[in-house]
Amino acid sequence: MKKNKLLLLSGAFAALASAPAMAEDLVIGLATAQTGGLAPYDQPNLAGLQMRIEEINAAGGIAGKFPIQTIIKDTRSDSAQTALVAQELVDAGAQLIITPCDADPSIAAGMITQGAGIPAISFCATTPTLPLAVGDYMFSNYPADNVQAAMLAAHAVESGYKTAYILTSPDSAYTLKLPQYFGQAFTAKGGALAGEGTYSMGQQDFGAEVTKIAAMDPRPDVIMTSAYEPDFPAFVRQLRGAGVTTPILGSDGIDSPTTFGLGDLVEGVVFSTAGHATAGSPLEAFNARWTERTGAAPDTIYIANGYDLGTIIEAAVTAADSLDPAAIRDGIANLEGLQGVTGAITFKGTIGMPLRAVSLVRIKAGERELVAQGQPDPADIPAP
Amino acid sequence: MPDEPLLSIEGLTVSYGAVEAVRGIDLTVKRGEVVTLLGANGAGKSSTLNALVGLAPRKARRMLFEGADIAGQATETIVRRGMTLVPEGRRVFSSLTVEENLMLGGARHAARGDPAAVKADMLERFPILAERLHQKAGSLSGGEQQMLAIARALMSSPDLLLLDEPSLGLAPQVVDRIFDLIRNLRDRGLTILLVEQNVAQSLEIADRGYVLANGRIELQGAAADLRASPEIQDAYLGA
Amino acid sequence: MDIFLQQLLNALSLGGTYALLALGLAVVFSIIGLINFAHGELMTVTGYAICFALIWGLPFPLAVMAGLAVAVVAALLMERIAFRPVRGASGTTLLLTSFAVSAILRVLFQNLISARPIPVSIPASLSGVLTIGPLHLGMIQLISIIVTLVMLLGLNLFLHRTMAGRAMRAAAEDFAVLRLMGLRANSVVATAFAISGLLAGVAGLLWVAQRGSVDPLMGALPVLKAFIAAIIGGLGSLSGAVAGGFLLGFIEVILQAYLPESLLPYRDAFAILLVIAVLLFRPQGLLARKTPVKL
Ligand SMILES: Nc1ncnc2c1ncn2[C@@H]1O[C@H](COP(=O)(O)OP(=O)(O)OP(=O)(O)O)[C@@H](O)[C@H]1O
Ligand SMILES: [Mg+2]
Repeated sequence: MKKNKLLLLSGAFAALASAPAMAEDLVIGLATAQTGGLAPYDQPNLAGLQMRIEEINAAGGIAGKFPIQTIIKDTRSDSAQTALVAQELVDAGAQLIITPCDADPSIAAGMITQGAGIPAISFCATTPTLPLAVGDYMFSNYPADNVQAAMLAAHAVESGYKTAYILTSPDSAYTLKLPQYFGQAFTAKGGALAGEGTYSMGQQDFGAEVTKIAAMDPRPDVIMTSAYEPDFPAFVRQLRGAGVTTPILGSDGIDSPTTFGLGDLVEGVVFSTAGHATAGSPLEAFNARWTERTGAAPDTIYIANGYDLGTIIEAAVTAADSLDPAAIRDGIANLEGLQGVTGAITFKGTIGMPLRAVSLVRIKAGERELVAQGQPDPADIPAP
Repeated sequence: MPDEPLLSIEGLTVSYGAVEAVRGIDLTVKRGEVVTLLGANGAGKSSTLNALVGLAPRKARRMLFEGADIAGQATETIVRRGMTLVPEGRRVFSSLTVEENLMLGGARHAARGDPAAVKADMLERFPILAERLHQKAGSLSGGEQQMLAIARALMSSPDLLLLDEPSLGLAPQVVDRIFDLIRNLRDRGLTILLVEQNVAQSLEIADRGYVLANGRIELQGAAADLRASPEIQDAYLGA
Repeated sequence: MDIFLQQLLNALSLGGTYALLALGLAVVFSIIGLINFAHGELMTVTGYAICFALIWGLPFPLAVMAGLAVAVVAALLMERIAFRPVRGASGTTLLLTSFAVSAILRVLFQNLISARPIPVSIPASLSGVLTIGPLHLGMIQLISIIVTLVMLLGLNLFLHRTMAGRAMRAAAEDFAVLRLMGLRANSVVATAFAISGLLAGVAGLLWVAQRGSVDPLMGALPVLKAFIAAIIGGLGSLSGAVAGGFLLGFIEVILQAYLPESLLPYRDAFAILLVIAVLLFRPQGLLARKTPVKL
């Protein structure tokens, strides 16, 4: 049901987009994946962003004078198509471009937007080198891999773990680098790496890898991986199936209903995520509003994340007090301590990857238990 | 209508894209007759037989079998009506056993009689197949495979049997045995349309014959007349 | 030694799933010369069917039945709607049609169901472990091995003991002559699709049981593995597909187990190299069919 509504909504926006732009409209070009492998991330972000834009427009636009107009185009989760779409959006007069939830297509789009002098924000790419690869007009809207890794490493040390095994996949920057950043941060704090295993994404067979872990003597104190669906559930199932009870640390990719549906298998797993709705928090209030709006509770933090992106845009344009892309860029780059529903967001002093709160959550009897929340000590964050 | 021919074809054309293999031929086969279709390599004999059972692209003014129009019908429908083909090159199912080949031949038999009885009859007529029942069809000799192909076709108790060069590539003694078999089928009253390169022997068995050249009927008539005709004497019988 | 035996069991379980998948492709290819790349979407359909059946409150065994039934029906519909109109067309046309079917289904799943994975609650009993001496066998692994053996045995009986099965073997050899036996081409092709749907359904069930969720793109990787396995075995040969599936599973597990850590990231490349080596020695695959496909 929710999805139909979403379709209707995007249809309404497409209709809106075809209306001629008013002189003072902010035109946002959205190069997002409606289909393909990135759709699961882009679609909820888009839905959250659309909710925020509706609210802003209902109040007369940003700062009461800049209504937002969107042009939404499907990238089909393909980098070449994303670059093509980005060019179309630039040509259509967008003053700000939103790119997909992954570094590769964001870099492809960034090559175009950087050259055109138009700021681009990725929905939720986490690769900390993204702005380095593109330039000063590229931003992302999510805690970076190395930030999550530092939080997890601090937790591992506090928990008294001495040795860690990391499981990586070379198939994506996220699944490869995040555990490696974790390894760096963990060893920097006195821990030791007991080994590194690899897997192929989507393969969901861990028999061989698990057999090796089970044969380790001594077993590591903790296993850290950024594997997510479908690999993570298959991995824990086979790991626990081989009688290995070593604690597991994960990252935000496993913040999904599937993980919580795994029951005893994931009991005690700790993972990092972009937000945790404590009682009385803005996120709890947002979740309630979303539930009221759509009839279903949000099933992923990406919806709130997309909503916060709308708040970032609003704040940046308000600060710029203009629709000039260069001024909007400066507006984003100077944001400091902006209150979003997921927590405080700061771009000032970064290369374009925001400083945002990371939450560590433990799964307990199928529920979330907050372990820690905040930002790691900048000195502990591994260099990108 | 006792005088109605079993098979009556008018203006049959077979074309494979630009290649016209058969160009508007007329053909009739009466009940109980053995008719032979002769012609050089590439004359269009196989194309004609394949077209009759719907395995080649065909056009015709009229295609009647047992009084029913078969022009647009699928192969399986035509076979169920009682006309079947033993294709050129035997084409037994080589990875299946002899028995399985026979079973498939009688697969649609339920409608036309008792398959067990037909199979028993078949094994009596082809003792060599009875010996090889559980052997893979591909391991049989050429002559045995031809026997199997014919027996398989007979399993459906057809009213009209089309035979495409049953003696092709067989040793002379084996050829004789195949012709004995065809003679035996004729004597039991089966209607047969026989395509052959072995002109002398087929004209001996047949009641009537057609000679195809370049997709057209060049000559036709009673077998005895054809055998005596100078064209046939020159071209085939090497007199 | 124990570790080696354990890895052998792992290979058997993975190889079995690949064998089921490759067999599903081969059954259809052997008869109409079509490599059905939408085979993976049949797995996805099974996953969604099981998922929704559970949500509607059906007990797990019934939900599994429903999932398998839906897979068979979906395969039959696919044949009727998409593949029958192009039957007998060139290999390229068939291939493109199957790509199109696969792409359309994925977009439909994404837009009508959800782009995000939907959890499937697998009963906790399936997470159990069987311990035989030093060996551990996960319940799902064990079920994979048993189900694979049962399916292979069942299919073998079907192909050799029933008329429809004999007709399928004959059709794989010479479709035109099979029609001369008075057997309907459409029903033989439909039988092939039904079997391939059932095989996809079983593989889909095993796949979903491991991962605990269904998503629109779930079928992409398995169909690729199935394709590789079928090529190794010799396209169109059923026993070849099974052999290819097991061989691919063994290659992958053994490489994962015994490649040095520094080379592990290149495991898939090594696996493909080994596959190429097999094909260099046997360009037609392990157990290639001798006769070409005709209709
Ligand atoms: N499937 C096909 N596609 C294209 N052309 C074909 C096909 N089958 C036959 N032909 C052509 O049609 C013509 C007639 O062929 P056909 O096989 O009917 O001859 P035939 O009289 O049976 O010859 P033979 O004695 O060699 O068996 C030939 O020129 C042949 O090349
Ligand atoms: Mg011929």
